[in-house]
Amino acid sequence: MAEHPVVSLDEAEDATLADRAADGDMRSFEVLVRRYGPLMRATATRILGGSAESDDVVQDAFVVAWQQLDRLDDGAAVRGWIMRIVSNKSVDRLRARREHADIDDHDPVAPVDHSPDRVAETRSQEEALSSALSELPEPQRQCWVLKEIAGYSYEEIAEQLDLPTSTVRGLLARARKALTREMEAWR
Amino acid sequence: MKRSKKPITPASATGAADYSGDEPEGLDGHTIEELNDYLDDDRTPARESIDNSPGCQIALAALERLRGLTLTLLDRDVLAEPARDDTWVSSILENLSREVHAGRDIPIRHDDTAARLTITEGAVRGLIRSAGDGVHGVVMGRCRLEGAVTELGEPVTVNVDAAVIWGHPLPDAADRVRRAVQAELRRHTELNLAAIDVTIHDVHAPRAGGTG
Repeated sequence: MAEHPVVSLDEAEDATLADRAADGDMRSFEVLVRRYGPLMRATATRILGGSAESDDVVQDAFVVAWQQLDRLDDGAAVRGWIMRIVSNKSVDRLRARREHADIDDHDPVAPVDHSPDRVAETRSQEEALSSALSELPEPQRQCWVLKEIAGYSYEEIAEQLDLPTSTVRGLLARARKALTREMEAWR
Repeated sequence: MKRSKKPITPASATGAADYSGDEPEGLDGHTIEELNDYLDDDRTPARESIDNSPGCQIALAALERLRGLTLTLLDRDVLAEPARDDTWVSSILENLSREVHAGRDIPIRHDDTAARLTITEGAVRGLIRSAGDGVHGVVMGRCRLEGAVTELGEPVTVNVDAAVIWGHPLPDAADRVRRAVQAELRRHTELNLAAIDVTIHDVHAPRAGGTG
């Protein structure tokens, strides 16, 4: 039905795209998928500590976004809104993992992405940070990523991970200490 | 949390991070958490016992570098993401249902009185968008049909937002959008148009680099 606009949608602002997508314009939604899909996938991979489930999580997040876009009052805020959806979807997986682990009495799934040979193979400080993160105990890693990368508050992390806020503070403190110590070691 | 002050082995010496929960040495009674809060507060109000402690200054510098790296870490992750081809995009779009945004059913008169023809509100919004997008320099935004569209002949007001690319005269653009939308709706629907209100909500330069 729709003919191509004279102005490419690729050039449209987030607010325009979000408004149109909320009205059911799938081509505008597609531009948002292309614009933010990689960032969403990277964030999901960070929260999950590996990329195995990232595509599924991003997929789920876009389905929710499509369904709920008409509830977003300010289209210009679509980036933060959609990032929060993908973060919450990622945390759902973390919780499912934990419940699974409780039942099976196994340790949480080990991170799969990052090489443990951090000292010899370090090529950049970001990679060093990435390795240091993957070596943190899983609860510390999760709290740190949710706080520093996903931008959750202490209270939100506590709620999402079903932990007391004091525990979240303690885990974050430990993660910060370990990572800071690593930072000093790389100088 | 443990707060004992027993000496710890530096990570650099063992090659492994220490997760014992002990504070690093030399923070003059402060903790990493306190220092992190101090950074959150932009080091105000200034705290002399931190500012005058060489150990704290080193730890603050490390915390700041950690923050900087955290910002660039995700940027690097995004750059390292495998190129996402059309298959990836279409696999996402395939899961979306158009019915979610179908809206109300708008009746269309038909010679056969037994037949009931309708067009969805979503489809009408699509027609409106498409008509407006055809106007040079215009990208349509949100679109609202106000009135009892489910009843034939009831007056309906169309409310549309549009963005205009910088350099195109606004009154002219709004007027052309109005005419294009009106012509399209007359051609395809029987809506009793009371008004077509066009709001130019944005004037912007073309985005550099497309999907970037």
